[in-house]
Amino acid sequence: MNDALRKKLSSTFSDLQITAAGDGDTSITVPKGSLMSLLSFLKSQGYEHLGLISCVDWVEQKEFELIYIVSAYMSRDHEHGEQERSSIIVKTRISREEPRFLTVIPVYGNAEPYERELHELFGIHFEGHPRLIPLLLEREYPVPPFRKDFDTRKYVKEVFDSVPSLEDPEE
Amino acid sequence: MQILEFILSPLMALVIGILFLGLSRKIMARIHWRYGPPLAQPLIDIIRLFSQRSISHGRLFSAGLVFALAGSVVLILFLPIGRIAPLSGSGGLLVILYMMLLSPLGMALSGGQAANPNTSIGISRKLLLTLGYEVPFVLILLAVMTHFETISIVGIVERQQQTGWALFTSSLCIPGIAYLLILPAILGIRPFEMVKAAQEIASGPMVEYGGQFLALATIQHALSEFIGIALFVNLFLGGAGNPLIFFIKMLVVFSLGLFVNAALPRLRIEQAIRYLWRWPTLIAFVGLIVVLIIRR
Amino acid sequence: MDRNQLIKWLKAPVKMSHKYSLHAVYFCTGCGIIEVPPVITARWDAERFGVLPVATPRQANLFLITGYVSVKTLRAIIRTYEQMPVPNYTVGFGSCPINGGMYWDSYNTIKHLDKYIPIDGWIAGCMPRPEAIFVAVTHLWTLIDKDMADGYKRYRKHYRLYRANQERVLGKLEWPPLYPIEERDERRTQEKAVVDVQ
Repeated sequence: MNDALRKKLSSTFSDLQITAAGDGDTSITVPKGSLMSLLSFLKSQGYEHLGLISCVDWVEQKEFELIYIVSAYMSRDHEHGEQERSSIIVKTRISREEPRFLTVIPVYGNAEPYERELHELFGIHFEGHPRLIPLLLEREYPVPPFRKDFDTRKYVKEVFDSVPSLEDPEE
Repeated sequence: MQILEFILSPLMALVIGILFLGLSRKIMARIHWRYGPPLAQPLIDIIRLFSQRSISHGRLFSAGLVFALAGSVVLILFLPIGRIAPLSGSGGLLVILYMMLLSPLGMALSGGQAANPNTSIGISRKLLLTLGYEVPFVLILLAVMTHFETISIVGIVERQQQTGWALFTSSLCIPGIAYLLILPAILGIRPFEMVKAAQEIASGPMVEYGGQFLALATIQHALSEFIGIALFVNLFLGGAGNPLIFFIKMLVVFSLGLFVNAALPRLRIEQAIRYLWRWPTLIAFVGLIVVLIIRR
Repeated sequence: MDRNQLIKWLKAPVKMSHKYSLHAVYFCTGCGIIEVPPVITARWDAERFGVLPVATPRQANLFLITGYVSVKTLRAIIRTYEQMPVPNYTVGFGSCPINGGMYWDSYNTIKHLDKYIPIDGWIAGCMPRPEAIFVAVTHLWTLIDKDMADGYKRYRKHYRLYRANQERVLGKLEWPPLYPIEERDERRTQEKAVVDVQ
């Protein structure tokens, strides 16, 4: 990102870490308390498009890392010229034992399906979300399936392999 | 002899109708630069469909389809095929006019009981299309009736044996051109294929037909194509002395329709009605006026 | 000619029509559906084999399941299969319906499709080439000739077991049973009572 934005960020927020990710993108790591204000600030600076909300499961450190990818492809000023082709990746960490977080729908309205997906796949509860119901899956799992301590081979053996085969059916 | 004609006429129409279905698939395939199915493929389809156990949605579902098929079969009896004309003296063109509406109404009746929204959309398109081509169709038939001063189709054919084909030798060429313009709408081929559009509305009124019902619907489709082309050949191309030349003339007209079918896309129903009520109606109206003036 | 041969000769056109008029319902599951449009269009022309895509299961004869089957897709497949008129033929396409394929340890795909609906033949490959589809069609003709393509008969005969498997994976099903399921337990208890008395 250009230096003007970097200066603004450093002056407004005190607890950021700005590093460079690949392909010209920039990555900002914040503690979870200042995530909402950072996202509102970025949106006011022209980063109006939320591309993805993703999650990484750090099992040993007992934390989930939430990742928000925002980009400014819609802005046309010369000042934001460089930002048109790059995205900013915002990362924050929440606890794994009690995964609860605030929803970012007030800032980016299209966050609703991404947070539903994270709720059903990782088990993170987003407070303030209007419709936290399953998006893709139909079944109930003992552990949310994308967590690293979900044993998928055992689950498949129990549920799908145990269905009796009908090669030689009894009469 | 009369009884034989009553059986022979619909039988010939059935055979030729199914042959034309097969020919249409073969010619379309060759236009697409591929080999097509064998010519008897619709016959194989119909045999297979008759041997499947199908699911009916109620009495009106089956009754409407039989009603539509019966309308088409009875209409064949009024059309002369070569010299074979069972019901030649009874009504002629007026009967054709109102019995051609039995098949869309029969399909609408059966489609009302298949509780499928695709069927409703297909039936509404079918009835709107019928409304669209009926207006120029009535004007064309009025022009023909005025020119030949008779409503009997056998009489029209006999007059043309003496004076030559009506399309090329008399002032009926203008209504003839209008008939050629609405022929794709009567046959239900592109650009007026929005009734049975397979990709849009999952084949429209025929979406809930399976097994024996689909066989009857295919036969009904074959017969209604036969009727549309046979009427044109009788009124404008002079009919024929024997069935063989009749079928050759039908083949020529059918091929023209197929080439149009292969080249054009599908119109929307409001575009179709806008077209049908504009140019063919205008041309048929002008033709009617010309026929009236020349006769005077 | 004795009576059996006469009946066979009379039924020969019907069998021929089942072979040469396979209308496939255009059900687009999974990855394999990308292999079907080249087969049915002008390059590898499937219409000369009699194979034609139709838009609705009610008009169809052949059901191609062209890829991996997740639990939601299985629900749709069963509903579509039960709407097709008998006799019909199902073919599993690709390696995922056979034994799970690439998704053999996935938490949401079922692995053996023939535990839930009857399958007449498989086409191996990931994805099979169009030429493999034509070989499969000719094999299906041979099976129909020998009366071995009887998936629909097996479904009717063992419907109780198929439905039990379906309910085991999908939970309670919203649609009523296609064929009536009689209760087998009373017959078993009656047999046991007879054995005890003796």
